[in-house]
Amino acid sequence: MDKRLPALLLISVFVVATCGLIYELIAGTLASYLLGDSVTQFSTIIGVYLFSMGIGSWLSKYFDKNILSWFIQIEILVGIIGGTSSTLLFLLFEHIASFRILLYGLVSLTGILVGLEIPLLMRILQDRFEFKDLVSKVFTFDYIGALLASLIFPLVLIPYLGLVKTSYLFGILNVAVALFVCVNFKREIPAAGYLRSASIISIFGLLVGFVYSETITSFSESMSYNDTIIYSKSTSYQRIILTKRGKVLRLFLNGNLQFSSDDEYRYHEALVHPGLTALPEAKNVLVMGGGDGLAVREILKYPQIQSITLVDLDAGMTSLFQKNNMLVELNKGSLLSPKVKVVNADAFTWVRNQQKKFDFIVIDFPDPSNYSVGKLYTNSFYSEIKGLLAENGIMVVQSTSPYVAPRSFWTVNKTLESVGFHTVPYHNYVPSFGEWGYIMAMQRQHYKKPVQFPAGLKFVSKESLDQMFYFPGDMTKVETEVNKLNNQVLVKYFEDEWGAVL
Amino acid sequence: MSGAQYSKKQDLLKNINRRGFLLRASLLSSGIFLQGCLRKLHPKSAYKDIKGEIKGPNAKAGHLLRDKSPIAPPSHSHSVETLIIGGGIAGLSAARWLKKNGYKQFELLEVEQEVGGNSRSGKNATSSFPLGAHYITTANLHDKELIEFLHEHKVISHFENNLPFYNPYFLVFDPEERLLINGQWQEGLVPDFGVPENDKKQIRSFLALVEELKKAKGTDGKYAFDVPLDNSSADSEFRQLDKISFQSYLKDKGYTSPYLLWYLEYCCKDDFGQKLQAVSAWAGLHYFAGRKGIAANAEENSVLTWPEGNGWLVERLASSVKEHIRGSSLAYEISETANGKMQVLVLDPETDKVSAVIADKVILTTPQYVTKRLLRQFERPNFHYDSLSYAPWVTATITVNGMGSTKGAGLSWDNVAYNTPSVGYVNANQQHLQTNENKKVLTYYLPLCDYQPQVSRLAAYSRSYEQWLDMIIPELEYMHPNITEMIEQMEVWLWGHGMISPTVDYIWGGNREAGSAPIGNKIFFAHSDLSGISIFEEAFHQGIKAAKQLLES
Ligand SMILES: Cc1cc2nc3c(=O)[nH]c(=O)nc-3n(C[C@H](O)[C@H](O)[C@H](O)COP(=O)(O)OP(=O)(O)OC[C@H]3O[C@@H](n4cnc5c(N)ncnc54)[C@H](O)[C@@H]3O)c2cc1C
Repeated sequence: MDKRLPALLLISVFVVATCGLIYELIAGTLASYLLGDSVTQFSTIIGVYLFSMGIGSWLSKYFDKNILSWFIQIEILVGIIGGTSSTLLFLLFEHIASFRILLYGLVSLTGILVGLEIPLLMRILQDRFEFKDLVSKVFTFDYIGALLASLIFPLVLIPYLGLVKTSYLFGILNVAVALFVCVNFKREIPAAGYLRSASIISIFGLLVGFVYSETITSFSESMSYNDTIIYSKSTSYQRIILTKRGKVLRLFLNGNLQFSSDDEYRYHEALVHPGLTALPEAKNVLVMGGGDGLAVREILKYPQIQSITLVDLDAGMTSLFQKNNMLVELNKGSLLSPKVKVVNADAFTWVRNQQKKFDFIVIDFPDPSNYSVGKLYTNSFYSEIKGLLAENGIMVVQSTSPYVAPRSFWTVNKTLESVGFHTVPYHNYVPSFGEWGYIMAMQRQHYKKPVQFPAGLKFVSKESLDQMFYFPGDMTKVETEVNKLNNQVLVKYFEDEWGAVL
Repeated sequence: MSGAQYSKKQDLLKNINRRGFLLRASLLSSGIFLQGCLRKLHPKSAYKDIKGEIKGPNAKAGHLLRDKSPIAPPSHSHSVETLIIGGGIAGLSAARWLKKNGYKQFELLEVEQEVGGNSRSGKNATSSFPLGAHYITTANLHDKELIEFLHEHKVISHFENNLPFYNPYFLVFDPEERLLINGQWQEGLVPDFGVPENDKKQIRSFLALVEELKKAKGTDGKYAFDVPLDNSSADSEFRQLDKISFQSYLKDKGYTSPYLLWYLEYCCKDDFGQKLQAVSAWAGLHYFAGRKGIAANAEENSVLTWPEGNGWLVERLASSVKEHIRGSSLAYEISETANGKMQVLVLDPETDKVSAVIADKVILTTPQYVTKRLLRQFERPNFHYDSLSYAPWVTATITVNGMGSTKGAGLSWDNVAYNTPSVGYVNANQQHLQTNENKKVLTYYLPLCDYQPQVSRLAAYSRSYEQWLDMIIPELEYMHPNITEMIEQMEVWLWGHGMISPTVDYIWGGNREAGSAPIGNKIFFAHSDLSGISIFEEAFHQGIKAAKQLLES
């Protein structure tokens, strides 16, 4: 018999021990990742795992004959179950009623199998070689393996491989041990050929999992959006993700919800109609931001409008809303209308180079959550765009929530006033967002509450308008500073106010 | 008798100094050389993806002047009434003033292809950026000439209640400054995060002191500290502060807080390229008390800046005198002709062609270490060229495609790390209006003030590009872990004589005054080194003063 064999068998002990602990750590991490509360998850997982290992060791005494071939079969099984466990848990998380049963079931199963490994291996070694100190060596290697696992798991595996790849990798190692034993002891194992092919096929299967784990993780990423991701794309400016659950579409830009198709009409009707209905003469409209074409859809309900210029930074976004069937259905093909001109440009620079006047301007920028976007809410920007608003025109600005962020909301109002605009603030309730605010701004106070609205609106009406213009006590005006390029107070307010709720 | 003995002793001292200098210089540069050889074995190593090279003001011109290598006789000559030599801020300001006052018979020579001197700028695909000077502050209200210039170019758009209203696109965008201290970025540069209460007390006390000095006036009714500094009070109470170093002043006043002293040293490095012990107390305090620019729409002394830094101001200053400027023209020597005119030899450093300009009058806006070579044939009574000291600087233009995330305050215009060799970096993209930019251009500023300026300068010229990366990148990594892989390009710019140092007794000791005196109503002087403080405002007024002297002569 090969002299190196004892040493190699000891290495197997080591690998088996490492794998065993890794599975436990993976289960713990995954459970706290998906279920939260890591202390509870880790202690219950470890408890169940240790208990199952106990069961495994106890069961080992029932294995009498063919220990070698049992050991190989168990190794293959541990490799397959351990290797695929994280994938199974990720994929099934959303779809089964009791995720915990699956989780603890898998943990117990792995625990039992791992519990069987070491006793069996020891008996193999005892039977084959006559040296007792090997027993102590087995334990030494077992513990070294455990130590190694607990160190490399957080330091190397999770940061560089991630959970799914790590499971597959250790699954492969487990089966490799099976294959190794199988090859070296083939004369003593009945059906060695069969076991060998089984391990090779398993290794191959796990390898495929390892290679395609990116796809698996990105698929499971959809879990955190709760719905199925039906589109995701990184443009040079942002990450666009579109999800669907039932009939409801949701758009996320860099992880922030932009709209939900079941209540977006509340937002877009409120953004457009209070202003545009008051301008029966309006012909030329400018929309800044709003590359989803939903504000444009509302604007197109006015037949007198001759041209709509939409300025959005991201061509990836506007072309998505021109091409994707579901989205085109949502915006009623608004971005394909011959009246609409789409310009992909940076808002501030575009406005500064523009001379044409517009009767109605919609400002639908992302919230002022950072200093870059914050520039688009400054007095400098407003005084530039003031030059583009016709004498009798109206501009409307989405202005975050006057309920959650009253200082932010009233800062936008104050900043608009500071460049000479007359303003009319209002608000409405959008379930996905909460209480939301808008501000109309005009060159002089000429706003008259309209009474007649386009047919088919679901939210805006004469009656709802009265509600929208009224600011109850919990949203009343507060005194703030003017937001300027050289102070950016709005970003700070916004951070404070939303930071307190999120 | 005793005078002779004294001067001998001084000679001896000078020799020892000189030997010490040579020793230190040779040790340092051979060290750099050896390290450079080792570095060659691993060329660029970790930085292999970073593109760039060392650049700087026209080195050939410097050598030509210093070595006084023989040049060809002039192939042709022409006459002009007035010749301005040097197209830095001082030269351009003189030219603008002449033109503004209806005087057109002049020409301006600049050795580089572009004017601007220390305020020059560059441009790449991502942004324009400063190579040296990068900002000014809101002007002192009584500085009518500067206010007028700023108004002329819409930096000041109008006045509200007699206060200038500054163009909001030129006031530095928020967030303005941040400091990496005690493991976190804090807003503002005055140390605060994790600073013990006792230190904060000293900081507050110092800031209160300079707040007083800002308003203080001497017995002559003038501000104790003003810009341009020649308008400051002659009261000896203040002027005597020029006779001690800033360091000993602070010691006498009982300022011991390491945090305060770091901050003040940072300020001295930032404005003078020197440490506390190397500048006079008057100059150190002037930094805080000289500027008192209030505005209708900004805080006192707010920063005015552009992506290209003061290159923007260069462009405006030059705009009215474009047709008078001749680039690639190195003034090489000035002599007086038989009929009392000034003959200036001019060399094109690119083609080595030599020509002569015959002028009635000359305004010299070159730094004095250059002027010394040009004026070999002239006496400047009581002026000691060699007591002027210049701080060498290195700036690096760094194009990054990301910066990683950091703890605390986010990317600002000016970003400084506590207790590091440099004075931090400025972000050229800060004044961009674009909302989404993936790449940024950062200009990193490193004053070379660890040794005597001559030693540092020599050492700086012997470093290779890789060796500069070895010096700069570890500090950037300290500020932004893993930034190395996000650096696409880094251009290193060496300013051998970056800034005049306001050493003890230089500003009010008489030498500066002697150097500013025109020669025989024919040669006039203007350069920030004759102010002793190297800032835009001083150079701007230097130019105006010389132009006025000329117009009145
Ligand atoms: C790294 C650095 C950062 C700085 N940052 C700031 C800042 O933020 N704000 C600020 O206000 N100041 C700053 N400064 C100071 C800056 O030096 C002054 O603002 C100003 O540019 C000085 O102008 P000047 O005309 O006095 O001198 P220079 O800029 O030295 O002008 C002299 C000119 O003469 C030319 N010249 C020299 N010799 C000859 C010759 N023989 N023939 C023809 N032409 C010649 C030179 O090329 C140059 O253009 C900085 C300086 C440095 C080095």
